[in-house]
Amino acid sequence: MSSEIWVVADIKADGEVRKVTFEVLSEARRKLGGPVCAVLLGSGVSDKASELAGYGAEKIYVVDNPNLKDFNPDGYVKALCGLIGKHSPAVVLSGNTAFAEDYMPRVASGVGSGLAMDCIDIGMTDDGRLRIKRYSHSSRAISTQEFNGDGSAMIATVRPNSFKEEESAGAGEVVSEDAGITDADIRIKVLEIKTKESDRPELTEAERVVSGGRGLASEENFNHIYDLADLLGAAAGATRAAVDAGYCPYDMQVGQTGKAVSPILYVAVAISGSVQHFSGMGSSKVIVSINKDPEAPIFAKSDYGICGDLFQVLPPLTEELKKALSE
Amino acid sequence: MKIVVFITQTQDTEARIKVGSSGDSIDTEGMKWIMNPYDEFAVEEAIKTKEAYGGEVVLIAAGPQRASQALLQGLAMGADSAVHISDEALGETVDSLVLSKLVASELGKIEGVDLIFTGMKIIDEESVQVGIQIAEELGIAHLALVSKVIDVKPDEKKLVCQKEIDGGSVSVEVSLPALITCPDAMNEPRYASVPNIMKAKRKPMKMVSLDDVDFGSLGINRDAVGKSGAKIKTVNLEVPEVERKLKIIKGSDETTVKGDEIAESARELVKLLRDDAKVI
Ligand SMILES: Cc1cc2nc3c(=O)[nH]c(=O)nc-3n(C[C@H](O)[C@H](O)[C@H](O)COP(=O)(O)OP(=O)(O)OC[C@H]3O[C@@H](n4cnc5c(N)ncnc54)[C@H](O)[C@@H]3O)c2cc1C
Ligand SMILES: Nc1ncnc2c1ncn2[C@@H]1O[C@H](COP(=O)(O)O)[C@@H](O)[C@H]1O
Repeated sequence: MSSEIWVVADIKADGEVRKVTFEVLSEARRKLGGPVCAVLLGSGVSDKASELAGYGAEKIYVVDNPNLKDFNPDGYVKALCGLIGKHSPAVVLSGNTAFAEDYMPRVASGVGSGLAMDCIDIGMTDDGRLRIKRYSHSSRAISTQEFNGDGSAMIATVRPNSFKEEESAGAGEVVSEDAGITDADIRIKVLEIKTKESDRPELTEAERVVSGGRGLASEENFNHIYDLADLLGAAAGATRAAVDAGYCPYDMQVGQTGKAVSPILYVAVAISGSVQHFSGMGSSKVIVSINKDPEAPIFAKSDYGICGDLFQVLPPLTEELKKALSE
Repeated sequence: MKIVVFITQTQDTEARIKVGSSGDSIDTEGMKWIMNPYDEFAVEEAIKTKEAYGGEVVLIAAGPQRASQALLQGLAMGADSAVHISDEALGETVDSLVLSKLVASELGKIEGVDLIFTGMKIIDEESVQVGIQIAEELGIAHLALVSKVIDVKPDEKKLVCQKEIDGGSVSVEVSLPALITCPDAMNEPRYASVPNIMKAKRKPMKMVSLDDVDFGSLGINRDAVGKSGAKIKTVNLEVPEVERKLKIIKGSDETTVKGDEIAESARELVKLLRDDAKVI
């Protein structure tokens, strides 16, 4: 086993490196010791190596292969298993994105490793075993877990917005690898990709999130949520009840089955505050809720709240925010 | 179509939970155990597929004796038969790789499986991996977070699904056999009625003891089943009380804001967010 700490870069549909990659690189450097290296997998991604070096990567293992596209796990599993087998890193980390949730479990199986998903803290024991913290029990409990140190790579994914990204130049030596991925390795045929063109930040990365619940009562009324989000430079989210009712698309769902978010500000509009919704946003720094029911459970879990009808509260609130933001 | 669904029981995390005396797990004294909610979606999807294309649904669970309750519920929902790998050690934390090898080996004994459903995660330990790892053990493709099964083509042995990705969705086609992990948005699980639960008791349930398992061929040690054999060990568990001091801004009648109070509350909230919380 080498002492290398690997961080697998997460690349967005538009080819940019996702912010969580820089967060994980930075925290690995601060907390884990050992040379921090990056792994860059994708198609036409080689030019991103220098960005990773800018956050402290000493080495960057690059597999640039046309079969590594389209969010298709098969090629990534083969490439990463191959690299881990060849170089035996001590630790392999990545952001906890939907894509990491898709392919990391297979990588762990493939190389016989333990895998901790969606960690909110990372560190090392004195004898060099990875120690992490993560939520469990619908995010109502936090467990501290340690790897047993059996010599297999210790693999973990990290929740976006858990750590601060911090630039720091690393040596950035590029190691190009040929993972030998061929068309035959790709079992899933992608027929169509629908990504949303939006000027709003992505939910999981956003520093501020404005979400709407069933109380919005229509798709049209969700414009109130979008307007408030845009005013705050926030991402827009929703509850499952709002998604189920067809007021907004599924990719806006925050919660146990939707996205886990950790913004500095979470504004919950007409959301009751179920365990499952809280599971996805409970770690927000400041929670503000607007609800017309004084008994709504969300109030007990909020920092600030206005008990009132959203349709009456949002217009003056928007005006006040505009004033405050222009000062 | 021969369809297999992997299900398990979880602690009801909506109920009150507290840390047990060992400090590394939830106190299960008097705990209500339920079928993992995501596995209910998996069972529902399997039964819907069977109803549309014919065939049979087999459930597989590894767990202590109480796990038979979840299997019974699945049978009452409409599955045809069940396999219960039963051992009290399976009630502890079990290493994901050990678990996936164990349950996949039972699937290996069933011939001609076309389609496999699992939940996306269990709601107590939230390991979020066993389903996908079963696919790796079986050497077949998996589709994670499928929000909609668009088309099943039993004759061509193909399947078209919509799955969720970061920032959007994709539609994909895959050859069968394949494994699908289910989030909640895909269907509305049917209710297991009392008469159906009575009937379910007469459906075939195969019991497998760990003594029957050929651990050698799985490449694992029998001792690996249970807490001590896990690659990742919980050393501490906390159930933090949500510590938020609500500054609620409400009207004089102690309920909702009305009239002039509304603008006043809005002003006060913005001031607090700026000067107190410093988030805008
Ligand atoms: C397995 C499983 C997984 C789940 N996963 C998720 C998940 O990932 N995310 C999620 O969110 N949910 C999830 N749920 C659903 C969850 O249990 C709740 O049903 C859901 O979160 C409720 O959404 P809501 O708060 O919008 O709706 P409701 O509970 O109906 O609450 C609506 C609120 O709006 C308020 N309101 C109504 N009108 C107004 C108005 N004019 N002005 C102000 N306030 C108003 C009401 O007082 C009420 O509090 C899951 C459930 C299950 C079983
Ligand atoms: N003990 C088990 N027996 C059968 N299936 C299981 C078991 N544990 C997990 N699974 C399946 O794997 C899915 C994901 O679980 P997990 O990776 O533990 O979060 C579950 O929803 C089940 O479908």
